Amino acid sequence: MPADRGHASGRAVLTGRPVHIPDVREDPVYALDALQDAGLRSLLSVPMVRDGIPIGAITVQRWVTPRPFSDKQMVLLTTFADQAVIAVENVRLFTELQARTGELGRSVDELKALGEVSQAVSSTLDLQTVLATIVARAVQLSGTAGGVIYEYDEDTQTFRLTAAHRMDEELVAVLRVAPIRLGEGATGQAAASRVPVQVPDIRDEQQYGATRVRSILVRLGYRSVLAVPLLLEQRIVGALTVWRQETGAFAPEVVNLLQTLATQSALAIQNARLFREIEEKGRQLELASKHKSQFLANMSHELRTPMNAVLGYTDLILDDIFGDVPAAIRETLERIKSNGHHLLGLINDVLDLSKIEAGQLTLSLGEYSMGEVIHAVVSAVESLAAEKKLALKATVPADLPPGRGDERRLTQVLLNLAGNAIKFTDEGEVSIQARASDGAFVISVSDTGPGISEADQRTIFEEFQQADSSSTRRKGGTGLGLSISRRIVELHGGRLWVESTPGRGSTFSFTLPVRVERQAERA
Amino acid sequence: MSKRILAVEDHEENRRILRLLLASAGYEMIEAVTGEEGVAMAERERPDLILMDIQLPGLDGYEATRRIKANPALRHIPIIVVTSYALSGDDVKAFEAGCDAYVTKPFVPRELLAKIREYVP
Repeated sequence: MPADRGHASGRAVLTGRPVHIPDVREDPVYALDALQDAGLRSLLSVPMVRDGIPIGAITVQRWVTPRPFSDKQMVLLTTFADQAVIAVENVRLFTELQARTGELGRSVDELKALGEVSQAVSSTLDLQTVLATIVARAVQLSGTAGGVIYEYDEDTQTFRLTAAHRMDEELVAVLRVAPIRLGEGATGQAAASRVPVQVPDIRDEQQYGATRVRSILVRLGYRSVLAVPLLLEQRIVGALTVWRQETGAFAPEVVNLLQTLATQSALAIQNARLFREIEEKGRQLELASKHKSQFLANMSHELRTPMNAVLGYTDLILDDIFGDVPAAIRETLERIKSNGHHLLGLINDVLDLSKIEAGQLTLSLGEYSMGEVIHAVVSAVESLAAEKKLALKATVPADLPPGRGDERRLTQVLLNLAGNAIKFTDEGEVSIQARASDGAFVISVSDTGPGISEADQRTIFEEFQQADSSSTRRKGGTGLGLSISRRIVELHGGRLWVESTPGRGSTFSFTLPVRVERQAERA
Repeated sequence: MSKRILAVEDHEENRRILRLLLASAGYEMIEAVTGEEGVAMAERERPDLILMDIQLPGLDGYEATRRIKANPALRHIPIIVVTSYALSGDDVKAFEAGCDAYVTKPFVPRELLAKIREYVP
């Protein structure tokens, strides 16, 4: 019935007040002739009002004989109407509550599923597992019959089926053999347009167009499809597609949900691709490094072999194997010999450094006496010191504990420091001090040379650096010695440093654990 | 009769230097170019001492040393291992293989001779 003045309820609703019609035959506006003809006579109608808005009316009627309603009856009916409003309101609230509870339940399910998906995306780099999880959740939450995730191959512009959930095996097989092309079907269109595409009825050719899988889909009972593109910054990486066996449009919530899952899938695919790329780069790097190390090892062998022959022949002549050698020739041969040894030293330094760089320098750990190492170094360099009229001193306590480390490499370090000190000092003395405290040796080599400026102190440990680059030519040396020495000390778990004031000499020191049981990880 | 020394060395120049050096000291030198040849020659010729290079094509000096020292008939023959600039651990490997002495290239001829004379006066 329309809410109009033609009947009591309508009038009550319109005015919001009780309506009393003592006799309808005397009411000129009453319009329900059929009731009137049937004998309706008196009416009392009370509106049901909630928050000032009428939501209905209660009407009581008298038939055959007109008899007006009393005030008391009107009050009573008003009370009923108020009660009815409360009852109606309760029912409405209850229905709403039920609806909300249902929605909440779905949201909780969705959140749980998204949580699971995020977990899968972040915890496993196995793309197959991640995508299988995502497509399973997508099908469950969207209440569809089945679904698949495709990965897009940019080169062939086709979609390769990567994961499927509750899909007919025949369809999966077809999709694997004949991948969907860009622009083809719902999936191809969604990707091409970069927005979700749905087809409410696959049988309708106008909606779906003719694709190779359409007849199979229809035969298998699929009726509607929703495809969501997997995008990374507008670049197509794949598609998430679900099918239903009912016709009709997909709810906006379902489309939203699948878009969220599509984003997760795209991220998972990106992660997996990046991971593969990093792995591949790592392999290439490892191989390149291996090749480089091998090349250097071969190269240095090749360089050393002829140098050894040059030095060997020179020594044979100097040893008078071919008879007495005149002084002038002897002196020249001595120069050939010393230059040859210098060249050999360069080759060895480069080899050492490349081995350290490649992480291939392995310490040969064994027992040694620090006292003997220092003694050996002093005997090796004392002739050099004597030539320059420098005093060479060594202070070694008799009670140094026995050491464990790579004796030959440690000798190399000390020889380098003592050799440098003599090389760069023109007058005065070079002294070596050793002590042991707290399980570590502390070895220092001091000189009365020119000293090293603060700026140069920072760079001399870098490869091919000497304090004054012009001194490289004057003093000889590769500029690799200090760098190698520092690395060797570090491989022992120690530290090498310099203290110097220009004009007042330099002191190079290193600490070294007395007992080195294991090589340090990285020098 | 002069003592015979077997030099296992793949480089012609190095063999030449050794030949000149050993001849000057009155030793007879026989030569092998590969590790396999060195082992075979040690068995056939029974030299008084062996100079063994490490970097050899095929069977390397360590393995050749090990094989010679594993043969009871040859075990007494002193072997001096000669390596190029020694990397850490080469000396250990050489002694593990069973060599008697160890010199690194470039060797000083006089010093190598002194070493040889310790075993073959």
